[in-house]
Amino acid sequence: MINLKIDGNQVQIGSGATILMAAEKADVKIPTLCYLKKVSPTGACRICVVEIEGADKPMTACNTQATEGMVVTTQTEKLAAIRKQIVELLLVNHPLDCPVCDAGGECDLQNICYDLDVATQPFMAEDVNAGVIDKWPLIQQVPNRCVMCEKCVKVCHETVGSSALFISERGDKAFIDKDLSLCEFCGNCVSACPTGTMISKTFKFKARPWELTKTSSVCTYCAAQCQVDINVKNKQVYRVTSKDDVTVNDGNLCIGGYFGYGYINSEKRLTSPQVKSGGQMQKADWSEALSTVVDKIKAIRDESGASALAGLSSPRLTNEENYLFQKLFRAGIGSNNIDSEARFGALRVQKILNDKLGLKGASHSISHIGKADAVLVVGSDVTAEAPALDWQIEAACRSKRDGKLIVANMRPVKLTRHANTPLEYKPGSEVALVNALSKLILEKGQADEAQLKDLVANFDEMKAHLEKVDVKAAAESCGLSVDLLEEAAGYLGAAGSVALIFGGDICKSKNAEQSIAAIANLAIVSGALSGEAGGLFPVDEKGNSQGLIEMGAYPEMLPGYQDYAANKATFEKAWRATLPADGKDALGILEGIEKGEIKFLYLAATNPLVSFPMSNRWRQALEKVEFLVVQDILSSDLVALADVVLPGASFAEKTGSVTALDNRVSCLSKAIPCVGDAREDWEVFGEIYMRLVGKSDCPDSDLILQEIRELVPVYEGVCFAGGGHGQICLKSNFEIKPGQLQYTAVDAAPAEEGLQLLSGKSMFHFGTTSTFADGPLSVVDAGYVEINSDDAAAVSIKDGDRVKVSVGDASVTVVARVDDCYRQGILFAPYHFADANIQGLMPGVQNRVAATLSKA
Amino acid sequence: MSQVVFSSWGREVVDNRQGGETDLASINLKLAESYLDQGKVSAFIGWDGIILLDRETDVVALAAEYMKRVQEKHCCAKCSPGKRGTRVLQDALARIVNGEGKEQDLASIESVATLLDNCKCTLCMTSAIPVFDAVKHFRNDFVAYINGEKKPKTAKFYKDRVTAPCIDRCPAHIDIPTYIEEIKERRHDESLATIRDYMPIPAVCGRVCPHPCETGCRRALVDEPVSIMVMKRVASDHEWLHHKQPPMVPKPPTGKNVVVVGAGPAGLTCAYYLALEGHKVKIIEMLEEPGGTVAVGIPDYRMPRPLLRREAEIIEALGVEIEYGVKLGQDVSLRELKENYDAVFLGTGAFKSKPMGVEGEDQGYDGFSEGGIHYLRAVALGQGMVTPKRVIVVGGGNTAIDCVRVALREGAEDSILVYRRTRAEMPAESYEVDDAEEENVQFEFLRNPTKLIVENNKVVGVEVIKMELGEPDESGRRRPQEVPGSEYVIDCDMVIPAIGQDPDLSYLEDGDYGIEQTRWNSIVTHGGTMMTDNEGVFAGGDCEYGAMTVVLAVGHGRRAARVMNRYLTEGKVYLDADDAMEDMFNRFGVFDKNEVIGISGGLHREHQPKIDGAERATNYEEIELAMPESQAVREAERCLRCYRVGMVAVD
Repeated sequence: MINLKIDGNQVQIGSGATILMAAEKADVKIPTLCYLKKVSPTGACRICVVEIEGADKPMTACNTQATEGMVVTTQTEKLAAIRKQIVELLLVNHPLDCPVCDAGGECDLQNICYDLDVATQPFMAEDVNAGVIDKWPLIQQVPNRCVMCEKCVKVCHETVGSSALFISERGDKAFIDKDLSLCEFCGNCVSACPTGTMISKTFKFKARPWELTKTSSVCTYCAAQCQVDINVKNKQVYRVTSKDDVTVNDGNLCIGGYFGYGYINSEKRLTSPQVKSGGQMQKADWSEALSTVVDKIKAIRDESGASALAGLSSPRLTNEENYLFQKLFRAGIGSNNIDSEARFGALRVQKILNDKLGLKGASHSISHIGKADAVLVVGSDVTAEAPALDWQIEAACRSKRDGKLIVANMRPVKLTRHANTPLEYKPGSEVALVNALSKLILEKGQADEAQLKDLVANFDEMKAHLEKVDVKAAAESCGLSVDLLEEAAGYLGAAGSVALIFGGDICKSKNAEQSIAAIANLAIVSGALSGEAGGLFPVDEKGNSQGLIEMGAYPEMLPGYQDYAANKATFEKAWRATLPADGKDALGILEGIEKGEIKFLYLAATNPLVSFPMSNRWRQALEKVEFLVVQDILSSDLVALADVVLPGASFAEKTGSVTALDNRVSCLSKAIPCVGDAREDWEVFGEIYMRLVGKSDCPDSDLILQEIRELVPVYEGVCFAGGGHGQICLKSNFEIKPGQLQYTAVDAAPAEEGLQLLSGKSMFHFGTTSTFADGPLSVVDAGYVEINSDDAAAVSIKDGDRVKVSVGDASVTVVARVDDCYRQGILFAPYHFADANIQGLMPGVQNRVAATLSKA
Repeated sequence: MSQVVFSSWGREVVDNRQGGETDLASINLKLAESYLDQGKVSAFIGWDGIILLDRETDVVALAAEYMKRVQEKHCCAKCSPGKRGTRVLQDALARIVNGEGKEQDLASIESVATLLDNCKCTLCMTSAIPVFDAVKHFRNDFVAYINGEKKPKTAKFYKDRVTAPCIDRCPAHIDIPTYIEEIKERRHDESLATIRDYMPIPAVCGRVCPHPCETGCRRALVDEPVSIMVMKRVASDHEWLHHKQPPMVPKPPTGKNVVVVGAGPAGLTCAYYLALEGHKVKIIEMLEEPGGTVAVGIPDYRMPRPLLRREAEIIEALGVEIEYGVKLGQDVSLRELKENYDAVFLGTGAFKSKPMGVEGEDQGYDGFSEGGIHYLRAVALGQGMVTPKRVIVVGGGNTAIDCVRVALREGAEDSILVYRRTRAEMPAESYEVDDAEEENVQFEFLRNPTKLIVENNKVVGVEVIKMELGEPDESGRRRPQEVPGSEYVIDCDMVIPAIGQDPDLSYLEDGDYGIEQTRWNSIVTHGGTMMTDNEGVFAGGDCEYGAMTVVLAVGHGRRAARVMNRYLTEGKVYLDADDAMEDMFNRFGVFDKNEVIGISGGLHREHQPKIDGAERATNYEEIELAMPESQAVREAERCLRCYRVGMVAVD
């Protein structure tokens, strides 16, 4: 500890702290402009100068380390004069366009002028500022408003890790420039900008900051669930912001959170119920629409039995909504034919991790990633799937600590460029790779065998199995060198704490179960599951998959991971209903429709035509099913297929809780009323349920929560206190009891050769809603396929050409993005765009398939 | 010697405008009197004041031009006072020179010049000093302009350059503050790119450089010098530890062919920069591997050869061909090279051991090594060198230290260094002497060998005489003197003299190439161009300077490549402004050891982790481990970014 005196106050602070940190501790306010707590100090503005006894020159508090016995003075006439003069200089040629500047009212330069009493302008200089930069998507740069604090540059480089921003030119002509190819369009530069230099184009000229009402809520675009403030004027969402320091995401957002809100007020919103009449969709009132649905449910049930009805729920819905949805089907309708797109990834992960490790969700809070000594990201473009995890990785391995980063994927992703060890494996060789890492760690004596003996039920089997793993053969199968595998294993083995992150490229693949089991094994061997840092982090790109699973919106389990058959009686008692014996999962439902056994399908906030593999088969099924209810927020191809359309609400329009991938439960707040006649989805489910069971009052959300707490053990201790930042709760912590961990002997399958089409999440789009938001659309507005230059050359395709991607008889035509940075043999295509219909090429529950390429 | 009309340099004002005479030497200013062969230096303006050599110099125009260049060419814009303040100064000075100035502009200049003392780095900060001096000491000239009584009289031309004390002290003149700031910002790739603009073997110079830069580090005037060398290793390690491919791409081919003799630091460097310019370069190397003295003279525990080879591979990837096992003067003659290539660079090093002048050393006894450099090479190349139990190494330089430490690793039980002066006078880096001591090397100071003791044609000991230190000699070190009659014998199985190396220029002997040599057997080159008397033949490194440092060889190699590029593309051999100003600053001196920095310090220098002495002496694993990057950031934060701009007026 260091002892120093600031303005006469004795302060004690940890070694390495700056004078500014010490002053903060002593409650001494030193004016700053370029200081941003979450990044390294820049020392650009010089406004925080202080006098230090024994030093002739004033020194900047933000980047001068406090030393023992230091005596600091923060307010003197000399310092006041320096500070004032610096601000006067900053104002030379600063345009007087505050009335039309977006930052007006929340501008640090305005504030500091006011604080330091800067009212005159003694200096002048030729205005050599660069012109306004308007050519970037989403962000406008106005150089003459810039104070060159570099907050944007630092956030971009340190927090986000994209390093797109830099200073161009010298002297007073210098301005912040950008390498567009690196930009993630996260908007963190805009939020960090203390003036109106970096401007959000989606917000520009729309509202003054003081007109906006901020409602604290949670972004549900991805499963990291950042805390946000929804900024509203006249019942419209004008922007989404987040606060530094007080939020789990430290004020950082991604393109989805910051620029992706446009769909909320989109013209394509479904604003009133519609009912098909005479082959045409007609507007209807709620009563009519709900009656039609309820009557149809009853009619089909009477005619064909409850098992002729099925429903698909959604990770876009809240916990309460998913709870109500499954209750509606099981208790209200009497059918257990319920599932969701979690079937194609998240559920597989959940089952294996729960079975083998007793793990429900991630093992730890995502902040544990930021403290890990080594991070392995395998089969995930985590920057796209859950950007907040990327920021944690940046902190662990780049900007704050010296953690080692291993990025294993069949294709290069953003994080590959930061990796200590990049492991670009051949598609299908995941198990070989992960098994080899486990083996090497154990073989080199880097695993804590004593602890493993205690925790792993089948320790001897584990040792025996790993002993048999042939590292050389594994390396060959992966197309990697043994040295590289040894290096990666060495980093993981030597690390005091390990974070393992895996995602869509593994979880949605054909043989996902084997890969996931191998990763669970590696989590055991590497010690990732215990300790104060690191952990195991399965990533599903969708916002509330975790909550959906925990609410039991799938046939095998009742809410709270309670086996359906075993716990049916409990729920029958609680719900005063008789539950069906069994139910169909998504594939069963699909087949059921095809066979004519299922006649009624309820799609709740989900679009199989875009996000489900085999989307063409789903389209045929939706066309065939006798009665289709579509409850959604945006108009899509589904509307034309529906018999009844029920308009639901976006996250900004509803209350309810959601559960992040790391078990954080937070509550949404209603920032705006539902658009048009739309209703919160839970109200719709509740109403239908009530009508079916013959009651009149719809339960309110408190009652639902009460019921969840009583029936869902994992939520027993969770307090649902409503929206806002202060009310985050965690489900109970992951604790490992002796013998709890189960090693799974999985063996590697051969890697696959030849051109492979991989579908997945784009960095710039989220599910099926961001394609209705102007922001993300201005970066990527249509589907495409990424092709390696050599693969493209082989079929004479150039960047920008339209290409035909074929799988068997099916094919799609999309724009080619050709670059030598893409991996040879892999055609990556984002799935979000309905027109591109990439998912139509998937012949089964998988995200990768052998494909051929030709010029369209 | 030029007479000084006015000088405010170093805050010492000499003003002879009203008469009086002071020559430059009398006030210790080593300012060049002419700029290359293009004119006389009439004035110098820079970080510590103004020096006028010509009475007619227009100081107002000089200051205006200087500030314009500072702002438009050099100001990094990364701090508020610097970015905008120097612009205000530039514009105020320009207004005055253009006859649009007002009296209040002078007050504004003084006020902003004072404010610039709060800049983030010393570039803009020091640029205010001569401007402030100008207004203070030449106020009448400014007022005359303001009153419309004076028209500008500019010099024939001005030349400016940015430097820093560390940059100046580094023989390769690397842009040190930039690469350190890039480490601080964790922009390792950018940092490495900055280093590579000046030196292509950062893995080497990040490890074994004697870092003369650090003797010019202003941080030392506050607490301890910045660990400049290690920062280079951090940048370089980051690349290969992240499996990154170096990004350099050569320019399109020029069709010119160059041969470089020697794949040591000078040759590799020269080849690298020539290849980047698009020239086809072939290196011939007498050994079977790259690196020259670095490969076979510096043991692997200091410089792991795989990393050295990686540096060479990076250079080869630019299209440079290296042919090993070809010795100039033996396998090929200089004449052939001259005939077959458009230019030749000689980087043949200094591989001939100096004799000790001891009775019996020329008899070829068993157990007597030809020299330290030969011993190290034989071990490095695995040429069957057997090291016995008791070894004596004679000398006090780095090679001697390397020999005693290698001998331990080669199985010697007693490795004894015999040196005629004391530890304090040893030319070896003191940390290396410490390292050797930690590894249990024995030292016999103030001893000088006089005779080899031989039995059956085999060395069994060495007779030494005790020495004592007398008066200082020309090197400043106290001259050792023999203590008469103090001879005694130290038993040993092997004696390795390591008292220095000379270039072996025998390849010049088989014909008259018209290349002048010094009396120390090194090649003469001219005027900083690195060209010998034979047009098209350039030389650098140890063969030009005598045995010196890796970094000097790098500096030579780069300078030679720059000049050779002009020779190849323009047919002319000359220095450009950057070269010329670099040399001018170097002679003038940039570091002021008496400067009072005026900031609070107390931050110690960060050190790399190191393997324990006893543990390491048994193998060739690298002793110093990579500094964790966050520790490197802390160290980089200590850098004061001591940039400064100097400008000469030439008439």
